[in-house]
Amino acid sequence: MIALNNVTKIYKLGKQEKITALDAVNLSVKEGELVVLRGASGSGKSTILSLIAALSKPTSGEVRVDEKHIAKLPDHFASCYRRDNIGFIFQKYNLIANLSVKDNILLPLVPLNPDAREVEEKTEAVMKRFHIEHKRDTMVRNLSGGEQQRVAIARANVNNPKIILADEPTANLDEQLSNHFIEILRELKALGKTIIIATHDPLFFGLDFVDREIEIYKGKIAL
Amino acid sequence: MKNKFNIYLLEYAINALLRQKYKNFFIATVFTLLTFLLTSIFFITNSIRHELDATLEALPQIIVQKIKAGRHYDIDVAAMDEILAISGVSDVVARVWGYYYFENAGVNFSIVGIDKYEMQYKNSFIKLSENFDFDAINGGESMLIGKGVKRTMEQSYYSEYFNFIKPDGTLKKVQIAGVFDADTELESNDMIVMSKDLLREIFDIQESSATDLVVKVANPQEIPTIALKIKLSFPDTRIITNQDLQVSYQNIFDYKSGIFLALFVVALFTFFIIIYDKSSGLTSEEKREIGILKALGWTVDDVLKEKFYEAFLVSFFSYGLGVGLALAYVYILQAPLLSAIFVGYSQLKTSFELPFIFDFQTLFLVFFLSVPIYIAATLIPSWKIATLEADEVIR
Ligand SMILES: Nc1ncnc2c1ncn2[C@@H]1O[C@H](COP(=O)(O)OP(=O)(O)OP(=O)(O)O)[C@@H](O)[C@H]1O
Ligand SMILES: [Mg+2]
Repeated sequence: MIALNNVTKIYKLGKQEKITALDAVNLSVKEGELVVLRGASGSGKSTILSLIAALSKPTSGEVRVDEKHIAKLPDHFASCYRRDNIGFIFQKYNLIANLSVKDNILLPLVPLNPDAREVEEKTEAVMKRFHIEHKRDTMVRNLSGGEQQRVAIARANVNNPKIILADEPTANLDEQLSNHFIEILRELKALGKTIIIATHDPLFFGLDFVDREIEIYKGKIAL
Repeated sequence: MKNKFNIYLLEYAINALLRQKYKNFFIATVFTLLTFLLTSIFFITNSIRHELDATLEALPQIIVQKIKAGRHYDIDVAAMDEILAISGVSDVVARVWGYYYFENAGVNFSIVGIDKYEMQYKNSFIKLSENFDFDAINGGESMLIGKGVKRTMEQSYYSEYFNFIKPDGTLKKVQIAGVFDADTELESNDMIVMSKDLLREIFDIQESSATDLVVKVANPQEIPTIALKIKLSFPDTRIITNQDLQVSYQNIFDYKSGIFLALFVVALFTFFIIIYDKSSGLTSEEKREIGILKALGWTVDDVLKEKFYEAFLVSFFSYGLGVGLALAYVYILQAPLLSAIFVGYSQLKTSFELPFIFDFQTLFLVFFLSVPIYIAATLIPSWKIATLEADEVIR
């Protein structure tokens, strides 16, 4: 269960200038739910994902995941929380360009000090599931956009997280690849993951397996 | 949590180094060169300092040489009694020594005669005369040779004995009884030691004369006064005191260490430029990478551990390589090029090997001047980035 309670996020730009990215947002997502956050550019979608992933902290309000107060976690435990609970598919993928596909995918496992067999099993499994195993030794920088996205998805799933967050997952994909991603999403949903997608791509609107669409407008939830 | 070493963290560090292989190769090269230069300088200075101290220690207090037409001649031993009569003089020893030209190799050896019943004017000879009895071997016709001499003689297949050519053209066969082991390499390298009687025979020196006289003075502060008195009594002599020699040795040494100091400063300066460059911040690429790792669940500890491995691998490898190269360069190759700086020194003594003095202090000093500083300079900027909110770093 994910819950945002009265969450406000204000970015300070200069001494005076401030941007209110989120303004007293209340939101809750149940376990296994698939939620699409939609809204114009700059409305605050990415900010919500970042707060849920504990990548940043709210200016006020509380963020709870499974009754844990995420916003209050010290940095070290925020990292552990991400490691154990969150699979994040970034808009720009955030892969390490000069590492191989496999070496990118195993990155979330490294802090767990795994043994070789465990790494082998887990990376192979996600590479197969997301159809990138034939490129396992290719440098990420030599991959196409769609392949890079599959690496990002595989990496987000290698720790078998309960929560998947995806930020504009189809922004860099053509229609065919976008449709393919939607199929992947359907699979992830079937695996019982809690999924939140931030997008303004109409392809996501009105899908049968999406539980809720939430419209964000200027930092608020539009009802 | 398992307590085993995290091999994947190390693997990531190695990968990270390889991803910037040109930059890291450059850093490692400069680092190695600097370690090499610094340790070489310290090694050479230590070795020479050691030699010098030992040499100065061994210098006789006063040497009296007879001079005729500006050249050094044998001195009449009758002068000894008169010198001994000067108050403050505790002993006078007649030295018998000379140079023997070894034609096969085109080098000069110095041969020194000692007499076990006499006072020895050098510490190393005291040891030697206590432990070794020339008369017992081959009826006194034996000698001890320095390591350099041994090497040269063996090249001409003289390993058991050597045939000296006497001034009258006849040969004198002398058995090699062993290798002379003096306190200093400088001293023993080109030296042969034998009994005075044998030396007199080879060089044809009469019982009544000696090569020069060594005077021992009870109170070292009286050396200049006594030197003056001897000079007045024997106007045809040259008096050399150990203080004269010490000054000229020391001058040479101080001047050489000045050059070393300059090299040292240049080396440190270059090192600190690298350090400054490292610590003045990460590229946006490097920052982003740290942000990504944190977003994927790496803690600050994980990031710093990984950065530590990177810095440690580069700096420790370079340090080890630099020290290894310096050891080989100084003690195996005898410091070519750099030793050109001691030309003045080697003029005092022609053949000279840097003695091996393994000095942990030097190694520690160079280690602490380089490795931890480099690691800190790498870790601090990474730590600054790693403790920021990940969101800020990767946007
Ligand atoms: N780190 C930051 N510093 C300053 N302003 C920020 C920061 N992050 C977000 N903002 C601002 O907060 C507002 C919300 O941004 P956010 O990225 O959440 O929007 P979004 O809905 O994801 O937009 P898009 O669809 O373009 O990705 C924007 O006005 C943005 O400029
Ligand atoms: Mg966004």
